[in-house]
Amino acid sequence: MALIEVDNLSVTFLTKGHRVRAVDSVSLSVDTRESFGLVGESGSGKSTILRAICGLAPISGGAIRIGGEPVATPRGKAFSRKVQMVFQDPYASLHPRHTIDRTLSEPLAIHGIGDSDRRVMAALADVGLPTGFRFRYPHQLSGGQRQRVAIARALMLEPEILLLDEPTSALDASVQAETLNLLSRLREERGLTFLMVSHDLAVIDHMCDRVLVMQHGRAVEEFPRADLAAGRMKTDYARSLFAASAERMG
Amino acid sequence: MTGVITWLRDPNPTSRAQARFGQTYMGFLRLRRNHLAMIGLTISVVLVLMSIFAPALAPYDPIAQNLSDRFIPPLSPGHWLGTDDFGRDIWSRILYGSRITLYIVLLVILTAPVAGLIIGTVAGYFGGWTDRVLMRITDIFLAFPKLILALALVAVLGPGMVNAVLAIALTSWPPYARVARAETLTVRSSDYIAAVRLQGAGPVRIIFGHIMPMCLPSVIIRVTLDMAGVILTAAGLGFLGLGVQPPLPEWGLMVSSGRKFLFEQWWVSTMPGLAIFIVSLGFNLLGDGLRDVLDPRSSGK
Repeated sequence: MALIEVDNLSVTFLTKGHRVRAVDSVSLSVDTRESFGLVGESGSGKSTILRAICGLAPISGGAIRIGGEPVATPRGKAFSRKVQMVFQDPYASLHPRHTIDRTLSEPLAIHGIGDSDRRVMAALADVGLPTGFRFRYPHQLSGGQRQRVAIARALMLEPEILLLDEPTSALDASVQAETLNLLSRLREERGLTFLMVSHDLAVIDHMCDRVLVMQHGRAVEEFPRADLAAGRMKTDYARSLFAASAERMG
Repeated sequence: MTGVITWLRDPNPTSRAQARFGQTYMGFLRLRRNHLAMIGLTISVVLVLMSIFAPALAPYDPIAQNLSDRFIPPLSPGHWLGTDDFGRDIWSRILYGSRITLYIVLLVILTAPVAGLIIGTVAGYFGGWTDRVLMRITDIFLAFPKLILALALVAVLGPGMVNAVLAIALTSWPPYARVARAETLTVRSSDYIAAVRLQGAGPVRIIFGHIMPMCLPSVIIRVTLDMAGVILTAAGLGFLGLGVQPPLPEWGLMVSSGRKFLFEQWWVSTMPGLAIFIVSLGFNLLGDGLRDVLDPRSSGK
């Protein structure tokens, strides 16, 4: 059963009088416990789809359904318990003046969930951070550690769906692999559904069951992972994107 | 004692309370390393002590006149800062005046920046019509010269210290609102605000818990820089007969009353003027140090 359904979604930004169509009639559906990848170069509208799902980008056409029900606008608390997002840049996504403890307990406070001491400790342990980090500030952590905190924060409300906006592109290669492995492990353990954006086919190949290639705000081609590894694409654009990152996929 | 300090300095605190005390302690250590800020802190503490113990420290009644002792120069026996045109001991008047200064300063700190912060962050966060309406109101207040507007307000409210403070607060919030709005606009669209919104936080939580901490440092700097101006505006209102009323020993009032004999009996104006100068300097130094302490990014250096 499709958990996330996006039908003919269009997103239009109005900047300085002229319209920019960032996403143009894109449809996709993600099954429960599936990991779905969105690939494309910068500006292809892949991140905008995630932001539109979260209500952070204006939808100008089409529909988004989570678990068969159309999403409410504004999204509301029920939505936040179902869908959470990990942002691209861990240097910008954590409040610089809040301790890790505050960052992680904030979602609990918003939703009136008690027992925050134990939950925060458990969340830190879950993402592989020592509990001694609890009262540190983000600037005292490395990029990879910050992204772990961001992942822990996204999981505080125990959502079913995790939207990942290039979660590793701001990290260096060795930390990238660790973070991806952490995400895979958490997906296994918690039965999460991933909708992941990346410009890196190697990352997508490692993480995703199915891939949608985007260009200039439109969907180009969708194929399962087996086809990606074998290089069986129908369109020229997908093939050129594949060729560009083929060496790294080794 | 050392046990307490190790407990405070524990890099891996075990409870929220310990973490908070530890951070406060580390903040104090950072402040202590900044010598200028410590001078500012000392001046502020001395001001507070002076106002508390004024009756014990003052050798004379600050209001009682003694016309046979008029214009005694400084460093004379019994009157080491001299006396004014009514023969009142200037040192005693400065001591009692510190109470009035502290009262004015505290009341303005508790009202104007808070109001400005709330108006600015609300305008910046919501944008659109809320922003337009709130900022035009701010512009209207900014369009009038501060003292003239305060004058009009005091004229309506009636002269007196509390009304003078109210008038100063009502005229000094717009700059804080402007600063807070500008800061809000820069953080509003950041990922960490998007993240907390995605967690289902309402606007009140976002503004008070997430946006205001980012605006505080610049507002605190403005407050400390404005403190001298607040003292002087209060003095100006007193001079025009609309603020603190004579014979109360308000410093600004003392400066203006000595204006008439500035060349012959210079100390009558100079001594309270020095007091204003030292206190403003203290506030400025302390504010500068506080800004460094309040920014957790500067810690550990």
